[in-house]
Amino acid sequence: MDLRKSYSYFKDFFKELLKRDNWEFKKIMCIVSIVFSSLVAIIGFASVAMSVYIGDIFLRFLLGTIAILISILLFYSYIKLHKKKELASLIVFVVIVFLLAYYMPLFPPQYELKAYDVDASILKFMITSFILIIVGILGASFSMKPLYNFTSKSSQASAYYVLTVAILLILYPLVVIVSSIVSNGIGGISWEFLTQDVSRHGSKGGVFPAIVGTLLLLMGTVFIALPLGIGSAIYLQEYAKKGKIVRVIRIGVDVLQGIPSIVHGLFGLAFFVPIFGISLLSGILIMSFLTLPIIIRSSEEALKSVPQSLREGSYAVGATRWQTIQRVVLPPALPGIITGTVLGVGRAAGETAPIMFTAVVFMGAGTPTSIFDPIQALPYHLLELTRYIGAYPVDQNAWATALLLLSIVLGMNAIAIIIREKYRVEF
Amino acid sequence: MLLSRTLKEELIKYLFFCVAAVSIFIIFFIFFFLFQEALPAFQEMGWGIFSTKWNASNGPYGIGAAIFGTLIVTLGAMLIAIPLGILGAIFLSELAPHRLRIILKPIIELLAGVPSIVYGFIGIVLIVRYLQPSFDMLSGYSFLAGSLILGVMALPIIISMSDDAMKAVPRSYKEASLALGATKWETIKKVTIPSSISGISAAVVLGIGRAIGETMAVSLVLGNVMKIPLPPWDMFETTGTTLTSLIVNDMGEATGLHVNALFAGAVILFVIVAIMSISSNILQERVEKKFRGG
Repeated sequence: MDLRKSYSYFKDFFKELLKRDNWEFKKIMCIVSIVFSSLVAIIGFASVAMSVYIGDIFLRFLLGTIAILISILLFYSYIKLHKKKELASLIVFVVIVFLLAYYMPLFPPQYELKAYDVDASILKFMITSFILIIVGILGASFSMKPLYNFTSKSSQASAYYVLTVAILLILYPLVVIVSSIVSNGIGGISWEFLTQDVSRHGSKGGVFPAIVGTLLLLMGTVFIALPLGIGSAIYLQEYAKKGKIVRVIRIGVDVLQGIPSIVHGLFGLAFFVPIFGISLLSGILIMSFLTLPIIIRSSEEALKSVPQSLREGSYAVGATRWQTIQRVVLPPALPGIITGTVLGVGRAAGETAPIMFTAVVFMGAGTPTSIFDPIQALPYHLLELTRYIGAYPVDQNAWATALLLLSIVLGMNAIAIIIREKYRVEF
Repeated sequence: MLLSRTLKEELIKYLFFCVAAVSIFIIFFIFFFLFQEALPAFQEMGWGIFSTKWNASNGPYGIGAAIFGTLIVTLGAMLIAIPLGILGAIFLSELAPHRLRIILKPIIELLAGVPSIVYGFIGIVLIVRYLQPSFDMLSGYSFLAGSLILGVMALPIIISMSDDAMKAVPRSYKEASLALGATKWETIKKVTIPSSISGISAAVVLGIGRAIGETMAVSLVLGNVMKIPLPPWDMFETTGTTLTSLIVNDMGEATGLHVNALFAGAVILFVIVAIMSISSNILQERVEKKFRGG
């Protein structure tokens, strides 16, 4: 009696469930499917990022089960489907899921390719993980669709899911890089580190001469590149007649801004070092050449953003060209010019390739007494420490140097961005 | 009084002219110097400069292997950076709530300024040390490591520039689409992306240019052997180098024709990057023209 009652109860329950328009159930199914798919994607990502071995038989079984579950759920959710395009993509997707489900439990670890066939096993590992990630993301974005009854909102939901996943994938390496530098480097930064000379191949002591060298280099660069850059920008933007020549010059500036820093280094090595030797002066000149196009370009942009009507108003009350530039054009353009300069110098602060054969030595430079002395510099210091990793116990100092360099460069960039945002003049 | 005023004006004008002339001279002098130093290599080697026969001590100096390495590393980096970068830019400009955007945008702009040597250091202590055991590699130094680090490096530039391009699409375009009853995603797909496609391509081209010219980060994580790996698409091999990496490794002790060969490499880099930045500029000018009237 009891049994029959419960049987009919279950029968009713399933009947109710399989009704086409059971909205509540479909919703739950979709959400479960989304969660499962996201889980698959996360497992795939974890296997790549943390080298979890997904050859583990249990994990394979689990993943295979999840994959089959997802496809059943999806099929149920798509049962109302009429659109051919949607159906085709669903079938392709389900085929992939089933392939994955079979593929994984099919090769237990004992049949895995052995160490002598390295490439094949790597490839398999990569393929499996990437299939997991893609299947997971696609599955979740597909599962969104029944939730919105396949209206145009449904494709919006699945697209938004993919976009959110993308931004997480972007932030992941960036967060890992910054957080590992901060957490590993903060321990190495101390008073001794900041004020002492390098000793024992950089494993002991500090980076004081490198800080001094970098500062001298930057000061020299500003001293040469800033007047040249701003002056050229003013001439090109305010005095020169707009024409072919100015256009060619502008292209030249752009190209120079884009050429690799190592090319500057090679140029410096072949041109300046024979004249000035490996010295602060060579470094300053090369860095000035490197930052010059950045300063010219950003100053020009800043000058360009000042509306023509302001200049004309100034001419109308009888001001000369120079008075106009000095009193009307430059003040609103100044934040832009400063931003560009700080960005340019910030780039110079972090560059290694241009100075490594032209201006720097690893140790023994101390505080240079003339501009013909070689210097030490933070980026080059970090390069040498990176080369010594494994040979000497330099890890702690290397992380600390990386943190110091990163905070100097990012600090300068942050100042530039703040200036730009705070003193932005809207016309 | 009037005379002295115009005289002063003229003097100032000539002062600025001289300053600009010095800058322009510097710029074109660098170009000239590069080509002049590279010329002997091209004369001596002819088309052989593009071959893969390389002997650092006494020639021949064919830099084909390095060119190939540059191409393959850049390709790998772009496989990572282009799709992720564009998706990220769409998220940032169209999807992110205002509060998230004003935090994320400056952070991503800041990350574009991280020095390449820091990426190189990270490449060694994180990527190479991770790749070696988890992929059973001989050493972790490989094209794969180079591509990974370059892909991450190129991301902020591509995101930030594509985001600017999408933000530059006039509001009226989007509002017209929304008013017709299109969803937000349909608007992004059919209006925002097509009208900002030149700006997005400019961002991608610039990103590729940066990746090709990147030196320190790449040279630290590559195997730096002047050969094409066998098979050529083998990203896991320790063999292989790029143009920038070749220059930075050899320029310290090179003499004679070797130096000229390095300059030839620099000229090839220069030409590639020049094409990239000029086409990026043309694309951006097209954007400006397009929206100026609207």
